[in-house]
Amino acid sequence: MSYAVEFDHVSRHFGTVRAVDDVSIAIEEGGFFAMLGPSGSGKTTCLRLISGFERPTAGHVRIFGETSEDLPPNRRPVNTVFQDYALFPHLSVRDNVAYGLMVQGIEKRTRHARAEEMLALVKLDSYGDRKPAQLSGGQRQRVALARALVNHPRVLLLDEPLGALDLKLREAMQDELKALQRQLGITFVFVTHDQGEALSMADRVAVFNDGRIVQEGSPEDIYQRPRTRFVADFVGSANVLSPALSRRAGGPEAWHSLRAEAMEAVASEAGRISGTVTTVRYLGAIKRITVDVGGDELTVAIPAGQDAPAEGAAVGLNWTAAAMHRMEDA
Amino acid sequence: MAAARPGIAQGLSDLFWRRPKVLLAVLLIPPLLWLGVIYIGSLAALLVQSFFSIDEFSGLINYEFTLKTYAELLRPANFDIILRTTLMAAAVTVAAAIIAFPIAYYAARFAKGHMKALFYLGVMLPLWSSYLVKVYAWKLILAKEGILTWAVDGVGASAALNAILALPVIGGGSLSVSYIGTFLVFLYVWLPFMILPVQAALERVPANLLEASNDLGARPGQTLRHVILPLAMPGIIAGSIFTFSLTLGDYIIPQIVGSSRLFIGQAVYAHQGTAGNIPLAAAFAVVPIVIMGLYLWMAKRQGAFDAL
Repeated sequence: MSYAVEFDHVSRHFGTVRAVDDVSIAIEEGGFFAMLGPSGSGKTTCLRLISGFERPTAGHVRIFGETSEDLPPNRRPVNTVFQDYALFPHLSVRDNVAYGLMVQGIEKRTRHARAEEMLALVKLDSYGDRKPAQLSGGQRQRVALARALVNHPRVLLLDEPLGALDLKLREAMQDELKALQRQLGITFVFVTHDQGEALSMADRVAVFNDGRIVQEGSPEDIYQRPRTRFVADFVGSANVLSPALSRRAGGPEAWHSLRAEAMEAVASEAGRISGTVTTVRYLGAIKRITVDVGGDELTVAIPAGQDAPAEGAAVGLNWTAAAMHRMEDA
Repeated sequence: MAAARPGIAQGLSDLFWRRPKVLLAVLLIPPLLWLGVIYIGSLAALLVQSFFSIDEFSGLINYEFTLKTYAELLRPANFDIILRTTLMAAAVTVAAAIIAFPIAYYAARFAKGHMKALFYLGVMLPLWSSYLVKVYAWKLILAKEGILTWAVDGVGASAALNAILALPVIGGGSLSVSYIGTFLVFLYVWLPFMILPVQAALERVPANLLEASNDLGARPGQTLRHVILPLAMPGIIAGSIFTFSLTLGDYIIPQIVGSSRLFIGQAVYAHQGTAGNIPLAAAFAVVPIVIMGLYLWMAKRQGAFDAL
């Protein structure tokens, strides 16, 4: 198997801060790989280790099998879509996109033609003459994308590219990025702190915390089978059951995760555990109720069609044994 | 309750709230009067003078519109003064930009904390002492018996210094009586006016633009040429306006350090004073204004302000 990017026990320390601490990853060619984690978890530093703006303190970064520590960013077969786009304000959109070709010495007519092709790819033909300041956030994002793709990189790095867009635009761009990745067939490495974005777009996800990867796997793995409490907490709406609570609910005495939609509300005393409804929130497709079960709180998602208990009602909660996913103690 | 305590202050504040333009007018009229009457007005009076002429026999001013005085500027003796001053100003500006850029770049991109404070101190400190003191100090430094000649002697490079001084036109008996000396002193005195705007412009260039350029395959030299320089250009132009116009108008430095040939400022000084030829002095004073206008017009045409 050939890998697009490999991290071989890579660390990057800034003084005493271990931004990246002994990380090993193998990113397959042609895949859509997401690095997910809270800010300061080391995911952006990992991206910068691939692009060459950071050099590892220890370990090796290999790009298509070649050790790349001594290769400056301009000589790596990767390009980046920067977080706030980093478009050149003094150049037109066309010259921004053609920049990578210009520095290679490709003559003006050819590079402008190729830039126009790229602009068409991101549906911005006819915007070539404008300046970046005359574009909306979503359009700038597309220009940044076109600019990074014009050199035909073998790996495209995206640093929180959708962070500055509003919700609706973000969802539309998620679909477009995914489609673009399939169409071009190149490897996308995507950094985000938005678990929804990571799970919906990527085919592999690495969850970062404190400079280390806590779990790597398919989106289903991460969502259904979080390895640690941190992952369960960070990746979404899973309840974390302490060993004592698991025991009370009839499970083994260990940390477990339990998804909100895996539980159903039943009559009091009829379920595995019973408690009192503290809040009911209407979220359209579901109602999310919070149940106080003797000091611990569990969140339950009730599908729109079903009756939800009222606030203050006594309720029992039931789920199948398989819905409880056992986690590591850490 | 605001309505319960009427008074002049309250009434005025209400008036300003209802009519924001009144507030704007109150704020702007005094400085505009100052600028309009005293500043622009005196300049206009000067310009008007340049269209009068002087009667060569009586020495009296003839208050009739004429371009005769401007024609006089083109006489070889006067035109040489303009050419000499413009060339000097251009040389000083180019040299200041070349020296200022790396200093400003270091200060904007790398200097932090104490180093930054030291940078500002280093650049501004010379501005705190009197201009005349600095110029006379340089006269001593550059003099034949001065420390520079001594130091050059000490390292055994006097042959090189003599060779430089033997150059036609820009050389001379010693550095303090040559154009090179005038140039060095101009460069020293105006350099901070170039460094500070360039540094301010460089500081506004986001670091991620440099990374983007590098990421897209540009070598450092290409990033400098295609990203940093265009974005720093407004700062360089601002600095060059200072160095260029200050050199064009200065009449003290060339008088103290350099050959005794006149610069525009000295010509203005001489004509409005001892010679009593106010029209010609005014016409000379118009020259730097026209040159600066042309310079800015060309800079704009070259796209120097596109990044603003």
